Amino acid sequence: MATLPSKPIADDVSLLVVLIDTNPFFWSTSSSSLNFHQFVSHVLVFLDLIVRLSQLNQIVVIATGHNTCDYIYDSSLDTDQVTGEGELPALYSFVLQRLEEFVNKDEKLGAKQDGLSEKRVSSLLSGSLSMALCYIQRVFRSGPLHPQPRILCLQGSPDGSEQYVSIMNAIFSAQRSMVPIDCCYVGSHNSAFLQQASYITGGVYVKPQHLEGLYQYLATVFAVDLHSRSFLQLPRPAGVDFRASCFCHKTTIDMGYVCSVCLSIFCKHHDKCSTCGSVFGKAQLDAASDRKRKASES
Amino acid sequence: MNNSEKKRRNGEAEEENEEDVEDEGRDAWERTYTDERSWEALEEDESGLLQPIDNKAIYHSQYRRRLQSLSATSAASRIQKGLIRFLCVVVDLSKAAGEMDFKPSRMAVIAKHVETFIREFFDQNPLSQIGLVIIKDGVAQSLTELGGSPEAHIKALMVKLGCAGDSSLQNALELVHDTLHKIPSYGHREVLILYSALSTCDPGDIMETIQKCKKAKLRCSVIGLSAEMFVCKHLCQETGGSYMVALDEGHFKELLLEHAPPPPALAEFAIANLIKMGFPQRAAEGSIAICSCHREAKVGEGYICPRCKARVCELPTECRFCGLTLVSSPHLARSYHHLFPIEPFTEVSARQLELSRVASKTCFSCRESLLTPGTNKAGPCAACTKCKQYFCLDCDIYIHESLHNCPGCESRRITPAAASATMS
Amino acid sequence: MPQVRIIAKNFMDMVAALPAMKLDILYENPFICEAILRSLPPLAKKYVTQMLFSEGSITAKLLEEWVLPDGSTKHRVSIDRLVQLRIFTESVESGRKKEKSYRLNPTFQANLQKRITTGGVLPREPMPPSLTGRLPSLEELEKYALEQWECFLLHLINSGQAEKVTSFSPSMMRVFQRGLLSQSKDPKLTESGFQFLLMETNAQLWYIIREYISNSEERGVDPVDLISFLLELSFHMTGKAYNLNTLTDVQRSTLSDLADLGLVKLQKGRNDSWFIPTKLATNLSVSLADSSTRKQGSIVVETNFRVYEYSASKLHSEILRLFSRVEYHLPNLIVAAITKENLYGAFENGITADQIVSFLQQNAHPRVAQRTPSVPENVTDQIRLWETDLNRVEMSPAHLYDDFHSREVFEAACDLAREWSGLLWEDSDKMRVVVKAEIHQNMRDFIRGQRQ
Repeated sequence: MATLPSKPIADDVSLLVVLIDTNPFFWSTSSSSLNFHQFVSHVLVFLDLIVRLSQLNQIVVIATGHNTCDYIYDSSLDTDQVTGEGELPALYSFVLQRLEEFVNKDEKLGAKQDGLSEKRVSSLLSGSLSMALCYIQRVFRSGPLHPQPRILCLQGSPDGSEQYVSIMNAIFSAQRSMVPIDCCYVGSHNSAFLQQASYITGGVYVKPQHLEGLYQYLATVFAVDLHSRSFLQLPRPAGVDFRASCFCHKTTIDMGYVCSVCLSIFCKHHDKCSTCGSVFGKAQLDAASDRKRKASES
Repeated sequence: MNNSEKKRRNGEAEEENEEDVEDEGRDAWERTYTDERSWEALEEDESGLLQPIDNKAIYHSQYRRRLQSLSATSAASRIQKGLIRFLCVVVDLSKAAGEMDFKPSRMAVIAKHVETFIREFFDQNPLSQIGLVIIKDGVAQSLTELGGSPEAHIKALMVKLGCAGDSSLQNALELVHDTLHKIPSYGHREVLILYSALSTCDPGDIMETIQKCKKAKLRCSVIGLSAEMFVCKHLCQETGGSYMVALDEGHFKELLLEHAPPPPALAEFAIANLIKMGFPQRAAEGSIAICSCHREAKVGEGYICPRCKARVCELPTECRFCGLTLVSSPHLARSYHHLFPIEPFTEVSARQLELSRVASKTCFSCRESLLTPGTNKAGPCAACTKCKQYFCLDCDIYIHESLHNCPGCESRRITPAAASATMS
Repeated sequence: MPQVRIIAKNFMDMVAALPAMKLDILYENPFICEAILRSLPPLAKKYVTQMLFSEGSITAKLLEEWVLPDGSTKHRVSIDRLVQLRIFTESVESGRKKEKSYRLNPTFQANLQKRITTGGVLPREPMPPSLTGRLPSLEELEKYALEQWECFLLHLINSGQAEKVTSFSPSMMRVFQRGLLSQSKDPKLTESGFQFLLMETNAQLWYIIREYISNSEERGVDPVDLISFLLELSFHMTGKAYNLNTLTDVQRSTLSDLADLGLVKLQKGRNDSWFIPTKLATNLSVSLADSSTRKQGSIVVETNFRVYEYSASKLHSEILRLFSRVEYHLPNLIVAAITKENLYGAFENGITADQIVSFLQQNAHPRVAQRTPSVPENVTDQIRLWETDLNRVEMSPAHLYDDFHSREVFEAACDLAREWSGLLWEDSDKMRVVVKAEIHQNMRDFIRGQRQ
């Protein structure tokens, strides 16, 4: 023991940031065998186990709602709560209470809206990912001794295509800070965004087949700290779909045309780029003067 | 009166001369003590104890000033940026590059920072290509061809390159012009010259070459290591590039890395085109194929060109057989943040924060307290103009430099009705 | 140089060495299950969490499939540890296949499940402030704990610097000093003693506790009770008061010893008396596992071989005196210089250069800890060079043979020496050979045999 060099980061201590999907549209319509309360109970037992595995482990829970995102629980704030003084259920009751408050707040924010245009309603994953990354940066700044952070997304809602750019930004930022993004997807079809996230950042993506045993999946795959992961054979994604989707029809294509100015992807040849307005084939200055002439004529 | 003034001025001039003469005898580290006098920046508080120098606040204010100036310039020019860039880096390896004023020598410093620059460049511009050119003994040679893989260029740089002879700016420009002439019209042609010498020995009229480059729409920028030269300044002015002279090693690195993000694209420079690209799928695990880049049989990981089904090892690349540019969607997504940048946050003074009715004075994204540690007063923070949430200064820097998403705006769902309401 | 190492993590080995029945008694207590869970190596933790809520057993082969070839040693170590602690019970399937499978110890499993799903209640609750009055703040507690611990250590090494008298009986102290001080009229620190001083606090604490527990049987106290009390103690809340009447007699008698070590603080009120656990106690379960310490050091080493320690403790100055020359001792700063003479003295006492260097590195001040290396290389290199200076010459007892009659005898003798791997030096021109002392007899017999 005396000859080990001191490491700045404790080896098997983790900081786990959990993003829980509370999107009511998903949970009310999901036909799977797991309802929201069962889901939360599996997750809470798993979280409690993580806290018990080491006195230095930290857990932060962020809820991803339909209209907003918020912090639910931070284990480093209130150490009285979970030092196991017989008030263990305090963790559960605290989190459940905060979740309920959050869901009510989320609903109230949504009541102001007129109606929903989208059939498949997604949750605000990019918001909670960004908040998680900012929190992790704060932990990095806090000094030389800090636990190894990782993000675990418990997502069920489908991907929202309007969040593509923000989610990719968050993924690249996580890749730069070397924070893996794991995902346990409880929805019906696979989420391409989260598959890409896990692939790019070096995390694990799992879509459990038997949702009643969700705790078992969580405990087997996601309870291990980052250092020991290098010794374990973890589920590898069967195929990550890296094909792009074209901006005009949102279909996945494997060969397409890319605008050289704004990099938007099209499946067919167009004359004009719909995103940046550049006219193809002509020098830009001529195109701009054309537009001006047309504007002055009309 | 005049005489006394003159005497005083002369006396001052003499004093200055004396100081200069003394300075020359001192080493650089001694000069920093006489010039900077860091102990004079110390302050005492009421009880006479030393106050720690608030480096954080200085750093933050410097950062904000830089951000403001950047956003001001970008707002002025068109939003379009040159995302597909073909950049030639010209390194001057004449005798002047062996000078030791940058430790250990100018050449070593240049090599080290160019390596960092190359990695950063490919990180921010995944579809672009770099070529390396060196000037030695009055002749310009191409060190590496235009290519999209950083490893090849870095390997070429790590070889021991001697420096000798004169430097010739015209030869370099001619070579670069020929190289960049062949690229497709949608790419932005750029040249970055790292010039250490104080002169140039040219075989012909350099002004003609400069005009040729200007006609070919080459954007030339120069980073000088010794002093400002007229010919470099003229070159940059004519072609629309930037000319900077580095003061020391840290400044040099900063100037170099400023060229990594895409420059604002002046619209006349490149013709917009639709480029045909392929998005290959990953080959199945365990499949065996002969890859087209190494000509060896490889198992498993690799990508299959959608047009000719050849196997390539890494992306982005050009398929060797059919010439199709192959990329994956994350490569394109890496550049999207240049096109949809977030606005800089406005600074919020402590008083404004206290007056605001925010319940808990914590940063929205990292939940760190916005109060100055140890007191109950609010510290400086920043706020987003769109979602009106408060952020601490460290999150501000992280959001703008790395994340490119405002957590407050991302945590709000804006319906079309609300969006139109805000716009009207 | 003999390398005697004091391994503090032997506490878990001691627990594992308890007989099966006693281990089962230990596992009845859910807090102990959790404490032991925390002390397991990471892979073992994974296996336990995997099996926690499932019935039945899992085959060894299935467990091995999860591990990459790189990690097979870690896998082995984890499984061995689990079997040692009787958390996993191994069973071999009868029949042709003879597959090994493991299942979780049912008591352990049931109690850990209970702990997680419903929580456990400690056998005692903190006392309300009305009864206890103002309790010492956390900083005061920490200061108290540190003082007690240092005083104890100073007594241990028989230094005259200790201010207070310890309440440990001299026989107890002798037990502790058993490995650390030489048993003579004028006890001096042995090699292991020096190594002990250079270890970190938690490791020292566990060493002392281990000695205490192994000695407890002689005093008539059941070690299992002690172990369970100590592990339970780590779940109490720092700074809260617990009434003494909730403890058993055994626990009460150990409490006064623990107070001397700085683990708890005893206080008396009007009617009741209570104890307050300090940070040293609640951190007990952190240090069970082999993880790196999080203590903040206060030593700065400079390239001119000066050492500055920002601390006021006498213990630290004693430790620094082991291998450096203390020059100034200011109220909160100790200035020392690493010199050749002092280092030679340290080496003669059995301390190795690696121990000194790692002590300096582990206790580096946070300001320099972020630099790599935290201790300048010229200092570490020089310390190592001075150590090898002492080892320039290696001595081994040997015998010289010369005056061989003929070359064949000489060659045969050399070959024999080589066979016995005792050949140290040979000179074929002058026909002389030096062999190790161990094979001297064999050589003599062989040569005598050759002569005949």
